[in-house]
Amino acid sequence: MTLLRQPERAATSALPAPRARSTYRWSAWGFTAPGVLIVAVLLYLPFLWTTYLSFTRYNGLGAPEWLGLANYEQMFSDPALLTSLRNTALWVVGTIVVPVGLGLLIAVLTYDMRFGSWFRLPFLIPYAISGVAVGIIWSFVLQTDGALSQALSFLGLPGSDSRWLLDAPLNTFVMIGAAAWQASGVNALLFVIGLQSIPKEPVEAARVDGASGVRLFRSILWPMLRPLTTVVIGLSIVASLKTFDIVWVMTEGGPGRSSETLAVTMYRETFVRTEYGLGAAISVFLTVVTLIASITYLRRQLSERRAV
Amino acid sequence: MKLTYKNTRRKSVIASLAAGALLLAACGGDDDDGDTAGGGEPAGESGGEQVAESGTINFYTDKAAWEPQFDEVSAASEEAVGFDLNFSGYSDANAYSAFIKQAFRTDEKPSLFTWHTGQPLKELVDEGLVANTSDLWADALGNGDLPADLEQYYTVDGEQYCVPLLVAYWVMYYSTDIFEQYNLTPPQTWDELIQIADTLAADGIPAFWHTNVLFSFVWFQTLLAGTDPDLYQRLSTGEASYTDPGVVEVMEMWGDMIDKGYFSAPDMADDPQTILKNGDVAMLNFGTFFTGQLNSIDLVSGEDYDFFIIPAVNPDLGATPLIFETGPLCVAEEANDRAEAMNYLDWWLTADAQTTWANSRGDVSFNPNAEVQDERLAALGVEASTDSYQLIERYFEATPTSILFTALDAFGQFVTDPGDPMPILETIQAEADAHWGSQ
Amino acid sequence: MTRFVRPAFLGLLGLVWLTPIYLIVVNASRLPSEYSSRSVWKPAFGPDLWQNMTDAWERADLSASALSTAIYSVLGPLIAVLIGAAVGFAIVALRLPHGFFWFVLVFGGTIFPLQMILMPLFVGYAETGLYNTRLGLILVYTVIAVPFSAFVMRNFFSGIARHVFEAAVVDGATTWRIFWRIYLPMSASALVAIFILQATFIWNDLLLGLTLSQSSDVRPLMPALTALQSTYGGSAMPTVLAGGLLVSLPTVVLFLATQRIFSRGLALGQF
Repeated sequence: MTLLRQPERAATSALPAPRARSTYRWSAWGFTAPGVLIVAVLLYLPFLWTTYLSFTRYNGLGAPEWLGLANYEQMFSDPALLTSLRNTALWVVGTIVVPVGLGLLIAVLTYDMRFGSWFRLPFLIPYAISGVAVGIIWSFVLQTDGALSQALSFLGLPGSDSRWLLDAPLNTFVMIGAAAWQASGVNALLFVIGLQSIPKEPVEAARVDGASGVRLFRSILWPMLRPLTTVVIGLSIVASLKTFDIVWVMTEGGPGRSSETLAVTMYRETFVRTEYGLGAAISVFLTVVTLIASITYLRRQLSERRAV
Repeated sequence: MKLTYKNTRRKSVIASLAAGALLLAACGGDDDDGDTAGGGEPAGESGGEQVAESGTINFYTDKAAWEPQFDEVSAASEEAVGFDLNFSGYSDANAYSAFIKQAFRTDEKPSLFTWHTGQPLKELVDEGLVANTSDLWADALGNGDLPADLEQYYTVDGEQYCVPLLVAYWVMYYSTDIFEQYNLTPPQTWDELIQIADTLAADGIPAFWHTNVLFSFVWFQTLLAGTDPDLYQRLSTGEASYTDPGVVEVMEMWGDMIDKGYFSAPDMADDPQTILKNGDVAMLNFGTFFTGQLNSIDLVSGEDYDFFIIPAVNPDLGATPLIFETGPLCVAEEANDRAEAMNYLDWWLTADAQTTWANSRGDVSFNPNAEVQDERLAALGVEASTDSYQLIERYFEATPTSILFTALDAFGQFVTDPGDPMPILETIQAEADAHWGSQ
Repeated sequence: MTRFVRPAFLGLLGLVWLTPIYLIVVNASRLPSEYSSRSVWKPAFGPDLWQNMTDAWERADLSASALSTAIYSVLGPLIAVLIGAAVGFAIVALRLPHGFFWFVLVFGGTIFPLQMILMPLFVGYAETGLYNTRLGLILVYTVIAVPFSAFVMRNFFSGIARHVFEAAVVDGATTWRIFWRIYLPMSASALVAIFILQATFIWNDLLLGLTLSQSSDVRPLMPALTALQSTYGGSAMPTVLAGGLLVSLPTVVLFLATQRIFSRGLALGQF
């Protein structure tokens, strides 16, 4: 009956690992090849070109002119990069705390509840709404004397005279909030899938032992939820390091570059100022940071469970 | 394991659906190949000098919202010269410009495309990517379809490239309701304009609209060109510094106006036309293309809104500075259907074509022979060419790209938190030094 | 007591979450001439919404791109979810040598900033004839969804006990059969979740569609819709909002329709 989640059984597997390897090696390659190939051709190859550009001066026309490391020197000597780094760090922390935390809370509260999926729906709908409408509505909510300020003053709450998008770092915080509005439901959905794949027996057994609420969650659900927690946090780290859309729509990184993230700085140098080489250098830097962060995280998460 | 075998039927149905859709998709692709090759068929490389009599020309623009207007033009051109346009609109000007630049490296060269005067045009010309239009210019200057004033903006190293897509003058639009309510009349002098702003500010109504993104330069150009057009000019060529006392003075005046409550918040999310309609501000400093946007929400010239030419800040100037912009329509030098596209430009410059184009958008026309229906715009077009005004190129086109975008950020910061202008002027000047130093 | 606390808390939080949706709906339901930023909270609903939607639909010429967008949003994630699941299966069940390396390689696809690979992609597409073809867009939408599905499926499969695989091997099943008939059916909820999340992402994509296509019957919806918002001659706000709402209806319906799959009892309880 319980076909799922018996890691201890897996460790004492009937088939010795070496035999498994020789038996399935070719078919494992066959299963992996399509994914590796298309990702390599359509994503890695273009990025190689970007990496090359980062060592050149290029405005999009003619031939790139080789510069060596000059773009990297320029990038690290620009004080605006520090603001960018600080804001990006805020986004990473904010994204892991708010939408991941909220997503987990919603998932745990709804996964085994009657009509749980309907209670989850309000949190999913924002993800289904097109970016155009979302961008417009948040601009209206957050503009000076906008919908949020009007609501606060109507309710007699403080903060109605805040300049949400104009003052740093407030503008970054409210934009993290807007992003959380869209992302929490998705995280909740992924957590729900994890929670629902947890077999009923151990949970029932723990209940019989008197575990409930927070204790049940900590002793049973949280450890068994691990594969999906890794997915949600791993994806959140990557997505938040690359934060671009919402910032570009709401503030274009301003005023005065105060809300720029690394991805916005990259876009600005490349497409707005047409310094392709410098923009490419920033994107290489951003990619390296993201790669280190995600490998560090995934290695710990994935290797503790099983050597793959 | 029997549980695993049950969904097979459904799965194979899905699989065949998927295969069907793929096939459909592939067919769609083939059709489009036919389309894109469209207008150029007879003009293939083997065809030599043969030029098609009719067909479709691929047209790219970052003014995506004008698709209906371009459709009108396309219908008119099909009737007149047998060619219509295959429209591709980009809403993001940055993505558009990157796309066009990369397209020159491919076989998808943009036959007909809109661009920007100033440095962006020069970059294309330097690489030999845009078709030379000197003959078209000579003809049109001769028959009066193009005014001589415009030629300099389309001239690189003595030759002309591209033709005007549009011209627009930057004037002050105002809400007639608010002006009536406060018994105000369009000002003749800068002092009168400031009096109006004071009157409105006393009642808590922002006189002017401004923004901290993109159009953050508008008030800088109005104030500087209106105070010292010569300094404005020298700034754009690198002969003057942003830390020049004259510039500092203008910035301080600007900051003072913001402090006095003349301006709206710089992050208003509404469209400018809606802001004027709702009376959120009294006046908007805008290009004449704004008329079309106002008309699109059923506002009527003279009844709901009107405009006046902004008086010079410095009353001693002989001719009043009038900011103007012009954007080009270009043909790629190596487009498959270059000859057809050049013929299209020839038609584009005619009074008939420009009458259609100007009126479809509701704007002035660069062609003095075109008949602009909007009386106020028509009058402005005539007035602007008199000696009472000196045309000043818009800051956006007049300023080299790298300095421009540093300045836009800096102005955005300034309108959000006005204060000591010196640090931001130094930031802009540092960029300017880097730019002019590398020339 | 706690029986009521939970629904009440979720319901309240849900209402807060729906507030921006309320703002979208009411402001999309005003005629442009009646809209004002000072009365965004004022309720409105009715035929004017329909009027605005029709305007947006016609102005942006959305009918041309609706069919192709639907094709992309179905085929892209469908193929991607299979490719991703295959990668996950190879790593977890077949114990691909150096599995972590290959996993990071595929997952690495999400790490590159999309904006930076657009231009080289465009040039590559133009040179191979994929530019402005539906096939080209299906390909790019597939690849963009592969890393996500590989990640989710790899981790989901790692929760399936090893003896499931071994028992099938003992029964004499081929690896393909084990994948197709055992692992995939066991993962219905994860597969559906990946599908709807990626389908929604693709449906709402702007950048790829904008860069890699040009003619109106290949171009997806979003580039056409965003064209309504423009410095030169943009449409009024309620029209754009109504357009944004209209194109979101299919994805909202998709979420509504698939909810049942995520309710307790259907997902994996049946096994």
